[in-house]
Amino acid sequence: MNPSMRSLRLYLSNKTYVVVVPVITLLAMVVVSVFIALVMGIVVGLPLPAAAEEGFRSNLGSLTALPGFLISVGALAVNRNFAMALAFGSTRRNFWCGTALGFVATSIVTAAAAVVLLALEKLTHGWFVHAHAFDVVAMGSGNYLKTFGMTFVLSLLSLFLGALFGTVFRAFGAVPTTVTAVTLGVVVMGLVALGVWQRVRVIAFLADWGLWAVVAIVAALVVAVAAASYSANRLATF
Amino acid sequence: MTPTATEASGIRIQQLRKSYGSLEVLSGLDLSLAPGHIYGLVGPNGAGKTTLMSTICNHTFPSGGTILVDGENPAENAAVLERMCFIHEDQPYNDAFSVGSILHVMPTFYPDWDDALAQGLVARFQLPLERGPRKLSRGQKSAFAIVISLASRAPYTFLDEPYLGLDPTAREIFYEELLADYGAHPRTIVMSTHLIDEAADLMEEVIVLHEGEIVLQADVDDARSSAYIARGLADEVRAFVAGRDVIAERSLGRILSATIRGHVTADDEEKAAASRISIEPVSLQDLIAALGIHTLTSALTTENR
Repeated sequence: MNPSMRSLRLYLSNKTYVVVVPVITLLAMVVVSVFIALVMGIVVGLPLPAAAEEGFRSNLGSLTALPGFLISVGALAVNRNFAMALAFGSTRRNFWCGTALGFVATSIVTAAAAVVLLALEKLTHGWFVHAHAFDVVAMGSGNYLKTFGMTFVLSLLSLFLGALFGTVFRAFGAVPTTVTAVTLGVVVMGLVALGVWQRVRVIAFLADWGLWAVVAIVAALVVAVAAASYSANRLATF
Repeated sequence: MTPTATEASGIRIQQLRKSYGSLEVLSGLDLSLAPGHIYGLVGPNGAGKTTLMSTICNHTFPSGGTILVDGENPAENAAVLERMCFIHEDQPYNDAFSVGSILHVMPTFYPDWDDALAQGLVARFQLPLERGPRKLSRGQKSAFAIVISLASRAPYTFLDEPYLGLDPTAREIFYEELLADYGAHPRTIVMSTHLIDEAADLMEEVIVLHEGEIVLQADVDDARSSAYIARGLADEVRAFVAGRDVIAERSLGRILSATIRGHVTADDEEKAAASRISIEPVSLQDLIAALGIHTLTSALTTENR
């Protein structure tokens, strides 16, 4: 067996945690969205009228539901699984490669779940109440491929971000981890500020390239964060 | 191809140094471990036992010196590291895993994993398979580490204070299982321990580590037979030891125990009997004390209380 596969098996040995929970998180997000629609329905009636339904297409729940949990999965995987894999005779490189493959597996399953939920949402016309959780602008307005792509890269970015924090902690300790988190936070806020400042250009760019541009940018971030995590992992100690 | 214990050339360490900032834990350490033996690594807390094992297994990086395992540098060397198993005394596990799920994945890491042995040990130690390692008691954590270490059949197995928290019955199980499995499947086992005398019967060689340096490395039987104790009334003992190489003395009232370097002859036994002096074998811990590693010995004695 390829040595990297051992760490992949270790990562996947608790499927509930790395496969089932992300899917349940998406389901929970649907439940919350439907609940909000029901509350709105008290005022505007059910199913939601067109104006209210249109507002629901800006629902960002599909973008915000996953990162928190997946960052913790990534951080725990490279921290605790790392210590286990090393104890069981793995190299750092093989551990990182196997775990990265695991991240890809988690992201594929999560993205596939998002596509299935999108299909169900469309089939039931917004879960019977015109609520939108996946058929939203941020996910490609009902385009299956875009929903898959966006969920996939977002999941992957979250997992590798967690992995970056986890490996920096293992390699350099708590203070550099905090510095890394704060630095990334400042960079993200800077990018948001830049986007707001250059909103006309950003909107034009998105109009030209659509959601695929966002997917490509997030994918590029995934590569950068994964590379940083790999470099830190080479220096990580028990 | 994986070398067997007899094909393997063992561990060779030269001038190994490891520092954490200004704290030097290992200071230019030289050590050779022939394959297929059980080594006891003893020393007080902070002597560098775990650091030494961690550095050999590439869990941490050396500050200097060379380590060769079967002639190769183990650093990021998959072919070497996959022949090693080192569960730390404070081994972190993923909280999402149970004892059972970790054992389930172990054959992936170790081709010679013995599942029957693992299950047998789990039963003997009464380990709860469904419980997460974090929720195990100190003794159960040690037992779990023993299960993995023994069932891995790793050619280089490192045990970090394996008896910690184990009750006497569980310790007996460990000693029994270790010897039985080692007998059937010889391999290199390095075991750090504070219980020198209790673990002495397991070790073939004892390595005493003190302040980052090896201060003694000796075959346990040779070490034990290299000295003996004469115990009796102080005046009788003093007369008996005259002209002999006394390396330690201990008095209790009128009773004197003298540790003497050398072997007991039939003539010695006759003289001792005539003077009502008892001749006793020296324990490993007493020998280490007698050799003058006083700081070490007092630390070990304190920890054993």
